[in-house]
Amino acid sequence: MIEYLMDSAYYKSIPYLYEGMKLTLYITIVGLFLGFILGAFAGLGRLSKYSIIRAISTVYVEVTRGTPILAQVLFIYYGLTVVNIGELTSAIIAITINAGAYIAEIVRGAVHSIDRGQHEAGRSVGLTEKQTMRYIIWPQAFKRMIPPLGNQFIISLKDTSLFSVIAVAEVLYMGKQYYNATFEIFETLIMVCVFYLIITIPTSIILRRVERKLDV
Amino acid sequence: MITVKDLHKSFGDNEVLKGIDAKVDEQEVVCVIGPSGSGKSTFLRCLNLLEDITAGEVTIDGDVITDPKVNINEIRSQVGMVFQHFNLFPHKTVIENITLGPVKVKKISEEEAKEAALPLLDKVGLGDKADAYPDSLSGGQKQRVAIARSLAMEPKVMLFDEPTSALDPELVGDVLQVMKDLAEEGMTMVVVTHEMGFAKEVGDRVLFMDEGIVMEEGDPNQIFDDPQNPRTQEFLSKIL
Ligand SMILES: Nc1ncnc2c1ncn2[C@@H]1O[C@H](COP(=O)(O)OP(=O)(O)OP(=O)(O)O)[C@@H](O)[C@H]1O
Ligand SMILES: [Mg+2]
Repeated sequence: MIEYLMDSAYYKSIPYLYEGMKLTLYITIVGLFLGFILGAFAGLGRLSKYSIIRAISTVYVEVTRGTPILAQVLFIYYGLTVVNIGELTSAIIAITINAGAYIAEIVRGAVHSIDRGQHEAGRSVGLTEKQTMRYIIWPQAFKRMIPPLGNQFIISLKDTSLFSVIAVAEVLYMGKQYYNATFEIFETLIMVCVFYLIITIPTSIILRRVERKLDV
Repeated sequence: MITVKDLHKSFGDNEVLKGIDAKVDEQEVVCVIGPSGSGKSTFLRCLNLLEDITAGEVTIDGDVITDPKVNINEIRSQVGMVFQHFNLFPHKTVIENITLGPVKVKKISEEEAKEAALPLLDKVGLGDKADAYPDSLSGGQKQRVAIARSLAMEPKVMLFDEPTSALDPELVGDVLQVMKDLAEEGMTMVVVTHEMGFAKEVGDRVLFMDEGIVMEEGDPNQIFDDPQNPRTQEFLSKIL
């Protein structure tokens, strides 16, 4: 039994998938980090008092959420070939833009959920709009963003598997390469899933703990 | 100290304040009473520009705050406001709640702000709660912290919007006592409240608001014991 396992994809694919997982995580983390910045702007933009900023943010969020991420990445990869940004950059941009739209909704929801009285109390001690946002609203809202952001991390992590279509060497792509050579399709795919689960299950558990601790 | 001339405030088509004229002298305590929806909160909120005013003129200590060129933040920092639901900052300790305004608005050091805040906490009877978080306090304690937070900005006027109506009856007294002390020190105050005992004892004048105007005003004893306007009579008969 042990010998069989050691001699099959269950074991032998691990180094390949490990390499793929590193890239998967890299794309997810960089993409989410940039996506958070984009999402924070778009989310706050949707709450702006200027209708033009609200309109731009809303169009971005709705167009992005209303179209498949696969179409988005193909659009970025082939649509931007003039500048030839390569598959890895395309993948990161796709995650940034896609997650950014969902994060915008997370940010908007969290900021919106803070009682209006907090804003009024801030303003009534003389804080400016910006100071009120920075010292009062944002810290409270950010706490409420943590659980849904964790969720978004899991979603985006899985979304990176779509980038195998543009030959990004993420974990699913590496798996495909492996079973194309060895024909151990079933075993390899099992291992691909295991790699995802190694990240997603602990993330879920940590999130639930954090959620309980934050009491949000 | 405060002069209000023909103040109007509309939310869309809904005119909530329909021409309010009022004067509050320095060191005066004016209580505002009136039925729900009559515009009492809106009136107070106009006095520190938490609402933008539709028409009319409000002057506070010589500054025409309705002038569009006025520095709103500076005005607000001079007018303290205490809310029905306290609105303490839950992510900050009691002392941080109090020092945030002085540090960020008046730009004094954290140290100085703390030094100034501690006597304020003592004054509201919460000297031992400096490092507590608001969630661990009772409603009455929260409201007293909220009062200390406003006082830390050294306001010229304090506005109170039903400061005790969200409190359990046994917690009301401590808050009213703090307000009474403030009044005795000469703070100019506008207080929306239905606490008749407080209005009679501490108030210099009572305004009865109904449907967006001041229907009747006068000495607290006169208003409560001998109201002239039928609307005032009707209202008082309901709450007494
Ligand atoms: N932000 C707002 N947008 C629209 N309408 C508002 C707003 N704030 C208040 N109103 C309306 O203005 C009217 C007066 O409200 P206000 O809160 O000033 O009354 P109040 O006298 O303080 O009542 P209460 O005793 O219930 O606190 C109400 O009809 C209310 O619906
Ligand atoms: Mg009110």
